[in-house]
Amino acid sequence: MATEDARYRESSQFKQWSFSHSQLAALREDTNAKAVSSISERLSERLVSGTGAPSGATSLPPSNNASNANTPDPEGSSPSLPEFLTAAEESTLVTFYVSELLRAGDHAEFSDEIKATAAVLFRRFYITNSIMTYPPQEMLIVALFFGCKAEGAFPRISDFLKTFQREHPEEILAGEFLLFRGVRFSIDVKHPFRALRGAAMELRSLGDIDSKRIDDAERRARQILRFSPLMTDAYFHYTPSQIMMAALSLADRGLAERLIQATFHYVQPQTESEANTPAASGTSGGDGQRSKPPTEDQATIVGSYIRDRVLGTVEACRDLLHKELPERREHWADRKMYKAHILPLRKKLNKCHDPDRWNLVELQRQTREQAAKKADSDDEGAGGGGRKSVDDDAAVFGGDLSGPAATKRRKVGQVKLEDPFGGAL
Amino acid sequence: MGASPLVAYPTDALRQHDPFKRQPLSTNTSANGTPLLPGPGRAQQAPKSLDNLEQMNEDEKRKYVKGKKLGEGTYANVYLGHSRSDPTFKVAIKKIKVQKEYQDGLPPDAVRELKYLKELHHPNIISLISVFSSKDQNLNLVLELLPLGDLEMLIRDVERVSYGAADIKAWMGMLTRAVWFCHDNFVLHRDIKPNNLLIAADGEVKLADFGLARSFADPGHKMTSNVITRWYRPPELLFGARHYSGAVDIWSVGMVFAELIIRNPYLPGNTEVEQISLICRQIGTPTEENWPGVTQLKEYTVPSQVFPVQKKDAYMARFGSVGVEGVDLLAKTLILNPKNRITARQMLEHKWWHMDPKPTRKEDLPRKSGSEADEKAANDLKRRAGQVGEEPDRGSRVARKLDFGAAR
Repeated sequence: MATEDARYRESSQFKQWSFSHSQLAALREDTNAKAVSSISERLSERLVSGTGAPSGATSLPPSNNASNANTPDPEGSSPSLPEFLTAAEESTLVTFYVSELLRAGDHAEFSDEIKATAAVLFRRFYITNSIMTYPPQEMLIVALFFGCKAEGAFPRISDFLKTFQREHPEEILAGEFLLFRGVRFSIDVKHPFRALRGAAMELRSLGDIDSKRIDDAERRARQILRFSPLMTDAYFHYTPSQIMMAALSLADRGLAERLIQATFHYVQPQTESEANTPAASGTSGGDGQRSKPPTEDQATIVGSYIRDRVLGTVEACRDLLHKELPERREHWADRKMYKAHILPLRKKLNKCHDPDRWNLVELQRQTREQAAKKADSDDEGAGGGGRKSVDDDAAVFGGDLSGPAATKRRKVGQVKLEDPFGGAL
Repeated sequence: MGASPLVAYPTDALRQHDPFKRQPLSTNTSANGTPLLPGPGRAQQAPKSLDNLEQMNEDEKRKYVKGKKLGEGTYANVYLGHSRSDPTFKVAIKKIKVQKEYQDGLPPDAVRELKYLKELHHPNIISLISVFSSKDQNLNLVLELLPLGDLEMLIRDVERVSYGAADIKAWMGMLTRAVWFCHDNFVLHRDIKPNNLLIAADGEVKLADFGLARSFADPGHKMTSNVITRWYRPPELLFGARHYSGAVDIWSVGMVFAELIIRNPYLPGNTEVEQISLICRQIGTPTEENWPGVTQLKEYTVPSQVFPVQKKDAYMARFGSVGVEGVDLLAKTLILNPKNRITARQMLEHKWWHMDPKPTRKEDLPRKSGSEADEKAANDLKRRAGQVGEEPDRGSRVARKLDFGAAR
């Protein structure tokens, strides 16, 4: 674990959620193709059986379908299938919903980290899951709820419902597990925010730069980090520090270059204890208090070859972020844009979504039902002993402890059980 | 950015990470990470028309065979398990229970534990091998099997287990490396204690139970002070500090160190008030002199009789079996002011490790064997974070009711 890079390569963000451009495109095509085929199958079944879809949305007047040129229909045998979204259209919609997610996050006054984590989880989810399979409008709220948890805040569902004017906890909770599973349980999202603070500190320490200039650049870069990387695929292609440098470069190219120059002319200090790497190089947003890489590593990073690669990478990331500068917030919220570009896609989506999975609450109910039928067979033959556990949970979580007497009683009962551990409060 | 700024894209993206070198388990993804379609025979018992997500989960689930239940607890049940393709590859499967009392979805313990175990790969930290969900939407964590119980077992079994300074040094070394690794990755464990230190078949000690862990907070961000099992809880948390650092874990490490030596909990307070008074008496009363600012902490209250901070010879008298340097290291973990307390890294650089006796090789460490250890390890895995085990008659010492909503 010598270097920051070695550390980053151990992260799930790198191991599971970093892709080249072509890998990512291929994954999305694949997800789209699979969704189209399975939804076609499900819709056809319904059409054939004549039961129709539960919501009117999936049953279409045939005349409407006749005009659909690119209905995937190799055999020409199912003329009543709707037109499906393409992978590119899915991406556009995902980006639109991320903008909605960020606005919702602003409304709820969540921290930058929570909003960013929610956005990244949402994007991750829709790489291997089609927007036609699971409803994005629901999932974005779920992502915000779970984003809070991933960042260590555990909001009450009741508060959350109030903030977003929803009525039933199930609307959010039904999707939570789905999301968690959909991101392969990788919820530690590494952000560029701390790295930016480190970079600003590093620039100040150089001593010859006007501090107002640094402040302005930091402010602008932060604004960018709150929006641009989340609205693009930046987190899938670049490390947090690269994203930070790109944002800084967009804010003030001179400062970013200066920082890179300063970093790669970093002189090896004499004493070991003083040799903290600059916080600016932190992949996870370091605080500057970390171990020194070995001398050889230090030597290789000072080389100009590596510096040029850094500059090239930062430049590429910069171009990506440039496509979605914070000013585009207005674009995405604009009604005309919505009507022209988003509404048609949503209309299409309304017709081609998965009839079995679109309603999360219903899906959850069915899953539970199936599980109940199975009668939790994997717990059989377990032998008793755990019946008390519910009370123990109450002891730790529940609000209504009925006083010391009750606590004592619970404790006494517990002594007899096989589990002598979880004591009362 | 570090040494090589260009990230090489991983080729096994979206594949379940397997921290073991040994990979007996088949994967269901192609080399570029594209989930493969269900192969013939793989989905025979699965309900029809699974989507990607469901299929990947089914595949993961089918890789393991759940065996007998090792233990049942409040937060999880633990089962023995093994790989379907290689039955000699044993695992522990921790099935997180749906908690009726927690109405707000996935429980915090499970979220935290998964978040951090997914990221932390170190020989002295329990490995998460896989995760899948069962039909009833319960999370199942596939963990490496640590069959030799935990440190608490060894400490308590005074009659049958004897150990010396070299063994303590070996165990402390493994614990300190685990804690250093957490802190170096900006993670606070917040529940270090002997029964969270599990022992692998080869004697390696592994830090487990990340149900209370969290990342370092940004400066100024409040955290809950209501963490760490009482006996191992540092004074700053007992005084209600909302801003704290890795020093909280270091105090716990010191408490474990002391407990390993005297083979009894060092400061077993029955209440928080008693815990504070034990600290004052045994280590010294925190005052403005030895800890500037301490009186400003919200819940600062100490017994009226002020005890001076212990001198080294007092520690020598009680903990001298680990030698002068060992006692020096112990005393540095028990410095009242968290700002002056030794860090995990400094601990690793301490002279004690180089003194005689050399730490025992892990294979030669004292151990218990058999079903007793199995059971104990399972009990450790299933316990809820913040609880102490054993001797229920000693009064309640679970961490106070955890209020997850209030602070993070």
